[in-house]
Amino acid sequence: MNPIALGALTLVIAPILGGLLMGLDRRITARLQNRLGPPILQPFYDVGKLMGKQPVACNSFQGVAASLYLMTSVLALLMFVLGQDLLVLLFVLALGAVMLILGGFSVKSPYSQLGSQREVLQMLAYEPLLVLMVVGVYLQTGSFSANSVLALDRPLLLTMPIFLVTQTLVIGIKLHKSPFDVSASHHAHQELVRGIYTEFSGLQLALIELAHFYELVLLLGFVWFLWHTNWLVGAALALAAYFSTILMDNVTARMTWRWLVSFMWTWGIGLAVANLAAIYFMLRVPR
Amino acid sequence: MGELAWLGRLNVGGLAGVLILAPVLTGLVVFLVRTKWSRKGIVTGTGWILSLGALALFGFGAVRRDTVSFMPPQIPGISWDAVVTGLDLLLIVGFVAIGFLLRRPIVAALAVLQAGLVLWVELSHSVRLEHPPLYVDWLAIIMVMIVSVIGSIVAVYGLPYMKEHEKHLGIPDTASKRPRFFLTILIFLGAMNGLVLSDNLLWLFFFWEVTTLCSFLLIRHDETADAEANAFRALWINMAGGVLFAGGLVVLSHAVGAVSIQRIVESRASVVTNPIALVGLGLLCVAGFTKAAQMPFHSWLLGAMVAPTPVSALLHSSTMVKAGVYLIARLAPAFHDTAMSDMIAVAGGFTFAAAALLAIGQTNAKKVLAYSTISNLGLIIACAGLNSPLSMAAAVMLIIFHAISKALLFMAAGVVEHGIWSRDIEDMQGLVSRMPLTTLTMVIGILSMLLPPFGVLIAKLAAIEASVRMPAALLLLVVGSTLTVMFWTKWTGRLLTADPSVVFPRIEHLHSMYFVPLLMLTIGALGFSLMVVPLLTQLIVPAVAQYYRSVQSDVTTLVQFDNVLGVPWALVFGVLALAVLWPLLYFRGPRTQRTGVYLCGEQVETAATTTFRTAAETAVPVTIRGHYFERAVGETVHARWMMTVSIAALVLMLGAAFLQR
Repeated sequence: MNPIALGALTLVIAPILGGLLMGLDRRITARLQNRLGPPILQPFYDVGKLMGKQPVACNSFQGVAASLYLMTSVLALLMFVLGQDLLVLLFVLALGAVMLILGGFSVKSPYSQLGSQREVLQMLAYEPLLVLMVVGVYLQTGSFSANSVLALDRPLLLTMPIFLVTQTLVIGIKLHKSPFDVSASHHAHQELVRGIYTEFSGLQLALIELAHFYELVLLLGFVWFLWHTNWLVGAALALAAYFSTILMDNVTARMTWRWLVSFMWTWGIGLAVANLAAIYFMLRVPR
Repeated sequence: MGELAWLGRLNVGGLAGVLILAPVLTGLVVFLVRTKWSRKGIVTGTGWILSLGALALFGFGAVRRDTVSFMPPQIPGISWDAVVTGLDLLLIVGFVAIGFLLRRPIVAALAVLQAGLVLWVELSHSVRLEHPPLYVDWLAIIMVMIVSVIGSIVAVYGLPYMKEHEKHLGIPDTASKRPRFFLTILIFLGAMNGLVLSDNLLWLFFFWEVTTLCSFLLIRHDETADAEANAFRALWINMAGGVLFAGGLVVLSHAVGAVSIQRIVESRASVVTNPIALVGLGLLCVAGFTKAAQMPFHSWLLGAMVAPTPVSALLHSSTMVKAGVYLIARLAPAFHDTAMSDMIAVAGGFTFAAAALLAIGQTNAKKVLAYSTISNLGLIIACAGLNSPLSMAAAVMLIIFHAISKALLFMAAGVVEHGIWSRDIEDMQGLVSRMPLTTLTMVIGILSMLLPPFGVLIAKLAAIEASVRMPAALLLLVVGSTLTVMFWTKWTGRLLTADPSVVFPRIEHLHSMYFVPLLMLTIGALGFSLMVVPLLTQLIVPAVAQYYRSVQSDVTTLVQFDNVLGVPWALVFGVLALAVLWPLLYFRGPRTQRTGVYLCGEQVETAATTTFRTAAETAVPVTIRGHYFERAVGETVHARWMMTVSIAALVLMLGAAFLQR
């Protein structure tokens, strides 16, 4: 397909898909909690409502942070769809994450400061796993480009089974699902309020929500990659990963950041390294 | 190109002479003519001479398109080799004298040891000195540009800084120590130019020891007890490194029969099969580790932060520590594809990750910067140890971008220090409301160290890609990169933590000699990142190809980096700039209502700063503190095992010389 058309299509379809998935999440979560839950389209209503609000801000940097967060999420997804360098993509994503953190830090507010401090730690917890997954891809394709995966004739899951697990954990952290929701939570927590998002409002918050739609699709795209040879199987894997984070969210309690970091740096990185070691030995990576 | 052909006919010996000797001579003038205006004029003028000289050398390289070994200008009756040897011995006598004056026998002992080893090399017949002692290739030109341009910018910045510094300490103009200060700084720049242009390791050793002496004098500048102690530590650690250097020279001169770097690199085939020669190279690399403040030798650079900030800016960016990594990178082709090279990568990678971890726990801004320097130099050394054209391209890129960003950060930190008289990151909270301009340069400096689309990150990408063949180094690089993001983000967060009550911060007034250097380096950090692709293809790839040509003729592995080269960086810059600018315009003015923070409805609306009501309606101002996780990442928590591991890595590195591939 023409790359420009593909890019344009992604720009339109990805937020719709991401929003629907989030609506589904709220519905399922409500049912698990014996509530009826909002309509599936609620995330879109939310964004629409936020956009209509009068702009209110504590400082002018907040808008920059929100805008960069959205822009990098879009950029990263476009790079993914257009088969660009996955490592560059991860760092573009990191740029957005850092900007959101700085946006939270930019206000002298106890809740957003607490959220930002903890978001730094969340980033510390998931970032190495994303990079290690991309390294796993490189070991098999000899390239960091997303296109090189598509050129592979076997599903990655056969050689990278553990990364299905770690990627699910990463999605859980990124989406602030329990037990990883230390910097902001979907559930009411007194000491957090809305954590890192507390001081964002109106259009700024709408931009952040929109960025979440794009980011969700990108994160699921990484899971889809594990079985790219048959897109239905890939999509099923992605959905399975997504719904397991929702299930996890509802059956676990929020843990501390200490637990989060030590868990991800021992179990998470340990397992990922084990998988990478297996790939090194199996494929006899040339020196 | 036609009208620039004259550049290719430049007398490169004379040019090198200017780059090395001009700052020494002007430094002496500054020292002797003690007026404020002459000092200002001469230091700035020297900066121009050095910058133009470096530019001329760049033009020379661009026209010649080849490496050149050359002699210094011939003066009848003078043998430059004898002059350098004589000066070297004079320098060592100076060290002995310093040892006696300070009552530190170890300094004198190390100096005597150095003298013995150097004389051993000089007097042994195995060494033939017919090879021209100076050499210029792209790597040397890049280094000369960094030293001459960034070094000069720092020197000019030092003019107003040292004035305020002495005013703050209450030193009268008549007793000013500034003449000596700028003499040392300028000699330092000359010595660095000499260091990177030397091909003869004996010459290089002389300049190496001059930089040790200069850094000692500069760290000691304030002559407080603290300064004395830390200057002594820097001196003895670097002199111990000098002993290792001289020892390596003895071994190399016997095993290879040459002290010319080019000759040693050319005889790689016999070097890598000869464990003794490899040990010689290994000793030189350990000397590089000391100068580059790698663990376990890093304590001297942390101590060096007692020096006035221009000294730190100089030591950390363009001089001193860069000499260490330069030496390792320069020698790397000689031990290409050996177990020792791999161990160097692991040792460098370890320092990269370990120093980044320790940086998280620091509240002192200069200490964070110091750990960041140690960490980044570790990364450069890891790249040199990985020893492939791609990793070397990453190393050269890091040398360039780190020099720019770190000079910018130290200079900004110095301006902040003179604005708030503190180096503590906690005191910098909300600096954006007090010194918005300086904060902006600081934030750009910080972001340029870790995020796309800036050059340091692009180099890091190349480093990660190059490390895939070595899992241990790879893991250290990934872990280190993540930790790096953490401490920088925390710091930036403190700077930006603004009280909503300050809506329009007043832009502070900066001395023009503060403002212009900061502006130049900010533009440099942005501009070079924007032009990273031409920089890589036009300058860095040829540089790497040149000095790997005796090892492998093709640099095809670099082509794999096309993924990054293919990213349209100008477009990325444009999109990001747009994303920054539109909210600044949109969320302005009457359209956007300004508000205080959410405090559960207990906000005191009338208070000047963010305040809330607590029990019995008491108004309490909100105080915010950063987290530093001292119990998890404090220096003392990790000191012992990190020292042990880093020493073990060095021992294993030397031991690996005996492993044959």
